[in-house]
Amino acid sequence: MDSAPRCQDDAILSPPGEHALVSQLQSMAYERMIPLNVSLELTLKCNIRCLHCYNFDRDTDGPACGSGQVALAAPELSLEEIFRVMGELRAAGTLFLSLTGGEVLSSPHLFPVLDHARELNLAVQMLSNGTLLRPGVAARLASYRNLLGVSISVYGATPEVHDAVTQIRGSWRRTLDGAERLRAQGVAVRLKLIVMRPNVHEVGAMRALCDARGFPYLLDLTVTARHDGSQGSLAMRITEAELEGLYRGPLSDLIPNGNRAVDEAAFPCNCARGNAAISARGDVFPCVSVPWAAGNVRQQPFGEIWRSSPVFERIRGLKVADYPACAPCPDKSFCSRDRGAAYNASGSYTGTDPFVCAAAGVARAVAEEDRATAAPDVQLPLAIAAAR
Amino acid sequence: MTYKRDPGLPFQKLEEETIVVDPRTREVHLLNDTAARVWELLESSSTLDDLTEALAEEYDATPEAMRAGVEELLGGLRDKGLLVDVAGAA
Repeated sequence: MDSAPRCQDDAILSPPGEHALVSQLQSMAYERMIPLNVSLELTLKCNIRCLHCYNFDRDTDGPACGSGQVALAAPELSLEEIFRVMGELRAAGTLFLSLTGGEVLSSPHLFPVLDHARELNLAVQMLSNGTLLRPGVAARLASYRNLLGVSISVYGATPEVHDAVTQIRGSWRRTLDGAERLRAQGVAVRLKLIVMRPNVHEVGAMRALCDARGFPYLLDLTVTARHDGSQGSLAMRITEAELEGLYRGPLSDLIPNGNRAVDEAAFPCNCARGNAAISARGDVFPCVSVPWAAGNVRQQPFGEIWRSSPVFERIRGLKVADYPACAPCPDKSFCSRDRGAAYNASGSYTGTDPFVCAAAGVARAVAEEDRATAAPDVQLPLAIAAAR
Repeated sequence: MTYKRDPGLPFQKLEEETIVVDPRTREVHLLNDTAARVWELLESSSTLDDLTEALAEEYDATPEAMRAGVEELLGGLRDKGLLVDVAGAA
């Protein structure tokens, strides 16, 4: 069976290459349109105030008015509602449940949700900033037989840089201590390195830090506009020149090789096929990065939204030609095709994000230059990715 | 020996197949329809005789014809650490 199109969101749930069968399962889900992977946002609340946060501007009281397509004004899902939705997910075919936020560890629902996920035999992955992983919490998490692992975000190789992004002094130390503590309890921990203007000079050092401490890691170069429609996060985005500097320097081994297939079968991602996401207020999205509401679990059962939402039907029916800027683009085999970035930048799922387009062009230029000087053809898929 | 599936393990049924994930070993197992049926039956504590009898009835076969296959399947699930021995060690 061919591998299904993948994005980094899949990788959060099932690291690529870790098990060949995982790719087969993702392909089955993609072909049969089974929501195997679902992200559930437990809360928008967070104990740090990252400058690049994609939820909303953490220096304000809450989300801006938004695009009108998402339920920004509604209260967050209650525990009772979350339990009902988890049952609906189980019935719809979900196996991998990714808990995200906000900060999941700041939610009073986290442990009841983990208990319920265990009862429902769901495999759980968590995304966290790690700062609340105190010894008792780490030990408690390790007791869950169904916990696949925890992905922890890091924004710098030094406390000064990381803490400037989170706006919380001491957060770098607490994050790394939390990661170490959790790993010591036997939980699989992966660091997610978000590359942005404040840390672009430390990218090599961030990778070295992970290597020195023995943590597997992912890199994400794409800071997007916020899900409430505000744009302040984009000031954190690296420039085209900085990206080129990275590809010619500390990320020279991660340059996309231009081998991404561009045919009809390979062009779509797993959005609305094997992946879905549910916001803290019940909106159902095609993936965690694309806040295009297909429905709300307060109004409709998840399975019904999954099967018959016009938004999901539209996404599933898209052909390469339906992406007006992408279809003729000569750089698309180098492109991350980050639908979240595109949607947040343009308001359209089939639109584009100028940064992603520029990044594909930079990748092609640098890769072709490298090939001309007989550099090895390196296969590394995660240079630009959708997940945060 | 009386077995039951490890109640903490994530799994999901996708049409005929069942996927079982073991986060501890980071292995994923794909069970075919017969193995998936055994997995279902192992929600309750079962012996080899219980499973053989149940499957023989469902597949319209004699217990003698089914026993070796069920035993092999049960051994495979046990060796992969997917079962708990209700009487004692996993």
